[in-house]
Amino acid sequence: MRSAAVYALMIASTFAVVVRVIAAADVQEGQNVGGAGARAGTVWSGVFTSAQADRGGTVYAQSCANCHGAGLEGADMSPALSGAAFMASWNDLTLGDLFERIRISMPADRPGSLSRPQMADVIAYLLRANQFPAGATELPTDTPALRAMKFVVVKP
Amino acid sequence: MQRPIASRMLVIAALVGVTLMPNGISGQSGGPSTKSGDWPAYTADARGTRYSPLEQISAANFNQLEVAWRFKTDNLGSRPEFKLEGTPLVVNGTLYTTGGTRRSVIALDAKSGELRWVHSYPEGTRGGNAPRQLSGRGLAYWTDGRGDDRILYVTPGYRLIALNAKSGQPISTFGTKGIVDLKVGVVFGNEQPIDLETGEIGLHSTPTIVRDVVLIGSSMKEGMTITTHNNTKGLARAFDVRTGKVLWTFNTIPRPGEVGNDTWLNNSWAVNGNTGVWSQITADEELGLVYLPVESPSSDYYGGKRPGNNLYGESLVAVDLKTGKRKWHYQLVHHPIWDHDVSSAPILLDVTIEGKPRKVVALPSKQSFLYVFDRVTGEPIWPIKETPVPPGDVPGEWYSPTQPIPSKPAAYGRPGLRIPEEVIDFTPEMHAQALENLEHYKWWKGDTFLYSGTLYNPPIVGNVKGLLGAVNLGNASGGTNWPGGGADPETGIVYAQANLSAFAAESVAPPPQGFSDIPYQAGVVGAPFRLREAAGAGTYADVPRRREAPAPRAPAAPQGEQQVQNYSTVEGLSIVKPPYGVLSAIDLKRGELLFQVPHGDTPDVVRNHPKLKGLTIPKTGQGGSVGLIVTKTLVILGDPQVTTMPERGRGAMLRAYDKTTGKEVGAVLMPAPQSGSPMTYMVDGKQYIVVAVSGGNYSGEYIAFGLPDAPAPRRTSSSQQ
Repeated sequence: MRSAAVYALMIASTFAVVVRVIAAADVQEGQNVGGAGARAGTVWSGVFTSAQADRGGTVYAQSCANCHGAGLEGADMSPALSGAAFMASWNDLTLGDLFERIRISMPADRPGSLSRPQMADVIAYLLRANQFPAGATELPTDTPALRAMKFVVVKP
Repeated sequence: MQRPIASRMLVIAALVGVTLMPNGISGQSGGPSTKSGDWPAYTADARGTRYSPLEQISAANFNQLEVAWRFKTDNLGSRPEFKLEGTPLVVNGTLYTTGGTRRSVIALDAKSGELRWVHSYPEGTRGGNAPRQLSGRGLAYWTDGRGDDRILYVTPGYRLIALNAKSGQPISTFGTKGIVDLKVGVVFGNEQPIDLETGEIGLHSTPTIVRDVVLIGSSMKEGMTITTHNNTKGLARAFDVRTGKVLWTFNTIPRPGEVGNDTWLNNSWAVNGNTGVWSQITADEELGLVYLPVESPSSDYYGGKRPGNNLYGESLVAVDLKTGKRKWHYQLVHHPIWDHDVSSAPILLDVTIEGKPRKVVALPSKQSFLYVFDRVTGEPIWPIKETPVPPGDVPGEWYSPTQPIPSKPAAYGRPGLRIPEEVIDFTPEMHAQALENLEHYKWWKGDTFLYSGTLYNPPIVGNVKGLLGAVNLGNASGGTNWPGGGADPETGIVYAQANLSAFAAESVAPPPQGFSDIPYQAGVVGAPFRLREAAGAGTYADVPRRREAPAPRAPAAPQGEQQVQNYSTVEGLSIVKPPYGVLSAIDLKRGELLFQVPHGDTPDVVRNHPKLKGLTIPKTGQGGSVGLIVTKTLVILGDPQVTTMPERGRGAMLRAYDKTTGKEVGAVLMPAPQSGSPMTYMVDGKQYIVVAVSGGNYSGEYIAFGLPDAPAPRRTSSSQQ
């Protein structure tokens, strides 16, 4: 028969595990709790591949550069897609939001002319241009999965 | 002796006719006005003031504003729009505005936002071809004061439509079934009519209605990379508000025999166009004068195909309301090659200056000068001096050696970039890097020319291997742009927001073979050619959605081209020192700046910059262009950019400033940047502010703010009611 002390220890350690599980579930992207786990689900966790970004560059040159500039610098009324203004505009939103904006309205003169893989590739190209890190997996092409990826400017 | 019956009837008929003579009322003469809490015109009135005497919303309660109602424009067209620029009107408790990729017209209950009616006019490929798309800046209202209330607006495909304001139905007695085809009468070249389907002309601004006259301007595509200088010729016209009949046409490019024709050397008037009137026309009903803000002639940055000063390009022209005859004009830029369109509604004010009552017209500008004239005679109130400007050397170009620069009031923004004084200096390292960057551009050291030679600095033939362009501040987008400014008629103070950070390096290069008959267009030698389109280009509701990969837009780039390096930022920050954007107030009584304050939250990139940690940086304001309103006590305008601030998350603020001191007295959060100019009105004793927001992920929405209603009295068990 276990002593009361052992039972107490078991209960305490179970409680501690439960608390930690709840705490882990509460961790939002962007909170500075350190380590790879905190970056999971943000644009800082290597959410696209370099090859995907290369493909995106070709799509960008054909469909986007005319208004947004070959160097993503924007022009007149088409905003820059890299740099301060772009980052501020999308901060705290998700890649799903960006994907949907492109899907619904871009390129401005031919919305709906890009396939889902092409749009995901372009986003990979934009992320690389804005110096987010590449990784081992490509960006998915379905909106819900992209909604799980938060665009945060300040590295968590 | 008895008069014959016939002639007696004639006399009676004549008397009846005179008594019942239609006498339109719009704004000034006893009809709806801001005095009664309405907002019956795009700029509040036909004088461009954006002023309402309402004072229920004040410094004491601005922070308590709540969203009273909101209206998304997503379904006014085949897909949502992301650049909603409209300013609604309110007359007698109904709000009217345009919206959506269709540029539909809606009428809402002004208290609740409930939709009352909607009108749309599909235009197929004619709409798809339109140079100016999306919802535009709004519409116009007219009433005869006896129940004939009308809404008039210009479609993307450039048609003028008159609707019954109560039902939204086209008025059958106006034009043809309610429609006047505005492309009829528009020409290019030597009076050749443009094609009705494909001819390039459109409009974003709203009609201006004075008495029974509807004033309509004209706009073409962005002029930086165009295929021909022999483009559609701009014009301004007046139409009868009842019938839609053309009353007069003013040609902004003078024809042979007309004054100013000789400012187009070698008969270049015949083979050039643009020179439209795309900003808001204003008018003085008592004087019977109309003020036309005229834009750039064909090809924004190269004028070799139009030698001469090119009247009335980039001029303010006053014409007679009845006849359209020019009364006076003032050209703000001779031989325009900087895209300094006259972008603002001319503001009409009566002010006592140096002890004398004057009737003035004040014009905010992209150059951040306020040009002030006697609006009767055209005489500048304070001297405007022809001033030497830097020379240019683009082959075939013609240059004006001087440009007119106002001596007073002082610039209310940055006409140019003073180097090194106005170059980034958060840290010495950033400042040094900026000065190094500037070596890649053309400008003048010392004080040979004002603003280090960056004001009216002519474009160069830039080269990726050498100088990339001529430094200018704010050609396309500096100073005050299409939203214009506003004024307080009681105090004679003009208010305008100005973008101070629109660094541009203007360069022209030969375009690809066969693209254009103009030898130089916006571009840099050695870099791929890029077509420059306006916002919303190609976004018309019926633009076909093609699934195949698109063909390249411009001819394929030859081998060996490289991108233009961008030296206009330092560590991601603007090379231009703050403030990036300001709200300025200019007191016309003295011809002096009253205040100038940064407008807009400091951008995220500055607040979060790793190299600026620990520095105390005063509020920088934001670049961009936003419009404002002036009330009894406040100036109100929103931020042009989104920021994420710890205390309120992401969004843009709608701010109120004390109109005499410029102190910010309140701010409320909007979910997206202000993209259309605000307006204010009162219904049933409650004041509202409505502003259009859109951008980034946020599609177009009109948001109405109002103060919280007092809670309804609670009923007790022994209620007397």
